Amino acid sequence: MTTFPLKIVTPDGLQFDGQAEELIVRTTSGDIGVMAGHINCVAPLGMGRATIVTEGKKLYAACIGGILSVVNGEVKLVPTTFEWADQIDKDRADRSEQKAKNALADKNLSRMELEMAEAKLKRALVRKSVADMMLNR
Amino acid sequence: MAGVSAKEIKNRIRSMESTKQITKAMEMVAASKLRRAQMQVTASRPYFEILYSAIQDIVRNNTENELPYLHSVRKGERRIAYIVIAGDRGLAGGYNSNILKKCYEEMKGTDAVVLPVGKKALDYFRARKAALFSESYPEAEDVSVGDCFSVAKALCKAFRAGEFDEIRIGYTRFVSVLSQVPETMKLLPLDVVADNEEGAADIMYEPESSEVFEKIIPEYLGGILYGALCECRAAEQAARRTAMDSATKNADEMIADLSLKFNQARQAAITQEITEIVAGS
Repeated sequence: MTTFPLKIVTPDGLQFDGQAEELIVRTTSGDIGVMAGHINCVAPLGMGRATIVTEGKKLYAACIGGILSVVNGEVKLVPTTFEWADQIDKDRADRSEQKAKNALADKNLSRMELEMAEAKLKRALVRKSVADMMLNR
Repeated sequence: MAGVSAKEIKNRIRSMESTKQITKAMEMVAASKLRRAQMQVTASRPYFEILYSAIQDIVRNNTENELPYLHSVRKGERRIAYIVIAGDRGLAGGYNSNILKKCYEEMKGTDAVVLPVGKKALDYFRARKAALFSESYPEAEDVSVGDCFSVAKALCKAFRAGEFDEIRIGYTRFVSVLSQVPETMKLLPLDVVADNEEGAADIMYEPESSEVFEKIIPEYLGGILYGALCECRAAEQAARRTAMDSATKNADEMIADLSLKFNQARQAAITQEITEIVAGS
């Protein structure tokens, strides 16, 4: 299968640098799949699962916030957080889910607190679902 | 020995030795912190570079002129916002003063707003009565990735609201353990490069181009901010290590010098005593 150069970097370092066959990420307007020869494209990332197909293997990761850019065949994925499925700390995700749920139970939250708690819950759920996928395979 | 008695010299040697111990300890602390900061900086550098080049690619290939952040929305006099990152503590050689002076000189005579990060930066600009954008980041060491993104969001919002028409960042680049360079960099508005015509390939924006820019630019700014912060942290520790290393060496030199003087004074006292005894008998 034709491959394309893919780079994934986060503030913590380079997560992936090599040839990939397919990349599927969740953007703010839904999932986008990228294969070799994709037209130039820019999209902000949402919160969700990223699937990378390389050397016939499928890799999964939780990918939250950031930018996807395809320019002249080069794909750059610059997320704020990116965790490979096998590196996700599930206990931590469980804890932060619980924390966020507790926070949301409080009815007198300010708008900002509410948004923060919602984002936290969402992140935790994304992490958990990606980690679960790993187990069920 | 004229003037200084052996006892006085001994006291000075003793105080010098305790100073040396302190500088030595500080050097070792800085060295171990530097190792960690250096690892962080090398890890975050690809992010910094790829993010920057991705945005440059997008701007270069962009054919639409009416996107947010490409031009300032402000009318009237130019006003520039500076993000200045310095350290929280002194005793780091020229680290703090170099970056602060550079920024101050650049903004002299212009209408500038400062967002200081780090205690030294805050104190410096407060003393000079510069207009401050926010005072909530007095500890450069405590600023997290999340903080970077929330600062970026606030700055972007102010930029869109027309509070200033340029955003610049002043930081110290960590070149090597021995060399740290203070630099300023323009972050916003994004420069539209002149070769717009030939290299221009149409870009598909998902969803709308203006919406994409609105989402992406705060992320970009936050990322760059975090990268700059990592550079600064490493640079600070490197500067402190070098400064403390030379302080320790200086102390060593002075102790050697004083010991020589002490021995001379002691010998002179003995000689004098003998002369007195011989003369007396």
